Amino acid sequence: MLPTINLAELQSSLIAFAPELLLAGGIVVLLLLRMVPSLERLHLGYLALFVVVAALVASWIEWVNGEYDTRPAFAGMVTADALTVYMRLLLLGFTGLVIILTLLTGLPEREESCDFQVMLLGATLGMLLMCSATHLLMVYIAVEMASLPSYALAGFLKLRRQSSEAALKYVVYGGAASGVMLYGISLLAGRFGTGYLPEVAAGFAVAMQRGPVDAALLVGLLMILVGLAFKLSAVPFHFWCPDVFEGAAAEVGAFLSVASKGAAVALTGRFTLAMVGGLPNEWATPETWQGVAIYLGPALAFLAAITATFGNLAAYAQTNLKRLLAYSTIAHAGYMLMPLATLTREGLDAALFYLIAYLFMNLGAFAVVAILRDQTGTEDLSGYGGMIQRAPVLTVTMAVFLLSLVGLPPLMGYMVKFQIFAALWKSYQDFNNTGLVVLLVIGLLNTVISLFYYVRVLKVMIIDPVPEGTAGLVRIPSGQIIFVTLLAVVVTVGIVAWDPLALQGSGRAVSQFRPIKPAGAPSASAPAAAVSAR
Amino acid sequence: MSFADFLFWIVALWTGLSAVMVVVTQNIVRAALWLLFTLAGTAGLFFLLGADFVGAVQLLVYVGGILILLVFGVMLTAQGPFVNLRAGAGEWAVSIVVGLLLLGLLVSAFLMTDWRFLPAQPPDPAHSRYVNDLGLALLGSRDATPPGTLPGAPGPEPAERSRVAYLLPFEIVSVHLLVVLIGAAYLARARRRRGART
Repeated sequence: MLPTINLAELQSSLIAFAPELLLAGGIVVLLLLRMVPSLERLHLGYLALFVVVAALVASWIEWVNGEYDTRPAFAGMVTADALTVYMRLLLLGFTGLVIILTLLTGLPEREESCDFQVMLLGATLGMLLMCSATHLLMVYIAVEMASLPSYALAGFLKLRRQSSEAALKYVVYGGAASGVMLYGISLLAGRFGTGYLPEVAAGFAVAMQRGPVDAALLVGLLMILVGLAFKLSAVPFHFWCPDVFEGAAAEVGAFLSVASKGAAVALTGRFTLAMVGGLPNEWATPETWQGVAIYLGPALAFLAAITATFGNLAAYAQTNLKRLLAYSTIAHAGYMLMPLATLTREGLDAALFYLIAYLFMNLGAFAVVAILRDQTGTEDLSGYGGMIQRAPVLTVTMAVFLLSLVGLPPLMGYMVKFQIFAALWKSYQDFNNTGLVVLLVIGLLNTVISLFYYVRVLKVMIIDPVPEGTAGLVRIPSGQIIFVTLLAVVVTVGIVAWDPLALQGSGRAVSQFRPIKPAGAPSASAPAAAVSAR
Repeated sequence: MSFADFLFWIVALWTGLSAVMVVVTQNIVRAALWLLFTLAGTAGLFFLLGADFVGAVQLLVYVGGILILLVFGVMLTAQGPFVNLRAGAGEWAVSIVVGLLLLGLLVSAFLMTDWRFLPAQPPDPAHSRYVNDLGLALLGSRDATPPGTLPGAPGPEPAERSRVAYLLPFEIVSVHLLVVLIGAAYLARARRRRGART
């Protein structure tokens, strides 16, 4: 039998995955440096930042060259296609920003910087693999690689009881979710004798077409979706999210809310598109794929609708700012799931575009919470009364971030929400699928609902009186001020780069997926069939 | 009933019985011991299916390693009130309902599935069990998936499965374990200097 990986293929795979290799090497170097006594005084955050920037530059070169190897790398385990490279830019850039934030707020002290950065880089490595996995085994390993360091990061503040409690809850929920996901993977892989995603999808579609309903396959698909929904913190698998975000440090909360969710969006997009025939396949005909979309489209749409609605409604009652932001991230997971429910590559494009703005505005909001926590010692909303007099710059930037999270123009949050709703509307026109209009209306209503609780935070910070017994002006180091101000500037002027009529930068990221053409007859278009089933 | 069938029923019943006893027993040390029998019974099922390697790993890793740790951990930490676990009636009710729902889902999925379309057997089933081949598959110089056709593919010619190799998962897991080790060591070690952070 011929060897599966020959050396030339291995070499090209290794070059294509240079950013991941840099991260893995960086982890080892960080650990080795701790053994040199003369370097003990060095804060390893800078080195971790250097590693991330190096990996970012490597990905940037790949992106600018614009030549992607859409063939599977490492014998079908992963692929370095445009989606992978796009997510690398996003995730590595974000991790770099988080490391800068931790350097500014001093979250890991010098003795602990090594552990913190190693866990951060390890989690990032797992998230990058989540975005590139094309094999179910790799999907599972990548999800675990992203999750396990996150559990430890959630419990990083060891002196705080809440933090350990958060880590424990995260572990228990995460373990159960990944166990369910593994069960689903074993059902699918065992049925087809392979875990290679395009072939599992093709076999799945053929089994659905042949009928009768193949229950083991549907249960397997459902269980994999449960695992993905946990990573997305979609309702009803969101219970861990508020507790973990309340207990963990705000910097860790920012990392989990954006990076973990972003990777999960990319993985969900790749998985669902593969299941409806988005990946090139030799023998499955377009008609083959209808049977899967009947189940997948409504399931994703329902998940998106209840996630956005529940997240926004539950955010009302929160008095802790981090809990409020946790419910806000749940709602945003719902928004990002909405375009994925169209099961088109344009939908994935909109979700990927959303991530750009979500990155800046959510990081900014968490950064403000982290800075104010350090200076005032409270994360309760009641302690933030009259913050406009005590920390004017931070309050203004917080207003920018929160209004952008609502989606008000002219902030970045508006342009990405517009793209999501535009993707839903376009898909409705293409497939004549009324379910997508319902989803669109739910999304718009949610935007209105969310306005209330975001503005309530601003009302407390700007209008409410300063609580008695608190000091006057809050002293904030200039580095932190510059950091959040720059983020706020990006959120404010980012819309300049936006052309609502053209494909977004993320459009290139979905180029390798086969377009699902709207067919003349409604019965021949998959999502249209999806709605008639509802 | 052949001898293999007879053995299967013995092992399967014993495994199922011990699994039920893990849940029913209220003494945590006894529950851990019943878990030992459950895991060993699962290893026996693997052996009966001809999956020698998986059975051996099950014995070594679960029965040998994890369970011994578990038993020691339980015996060292279980004192006084924590030896006996009592669940309230409400907890029992919820867990029974959830368990029965899951069982119903799995059983109905099993019954409603057309099991004729299973992947083709590898040409030489005995060959794929050898540890040597498994090691070569992990290093990427041999297929992890034995050659075969995708079940149920239409058309005159059956579609061949793509070859995959487990080189990347095998290597990347070592990085993962390293990171997890650091995380576990961080959480377990005492804080060197007390900080004032809250």
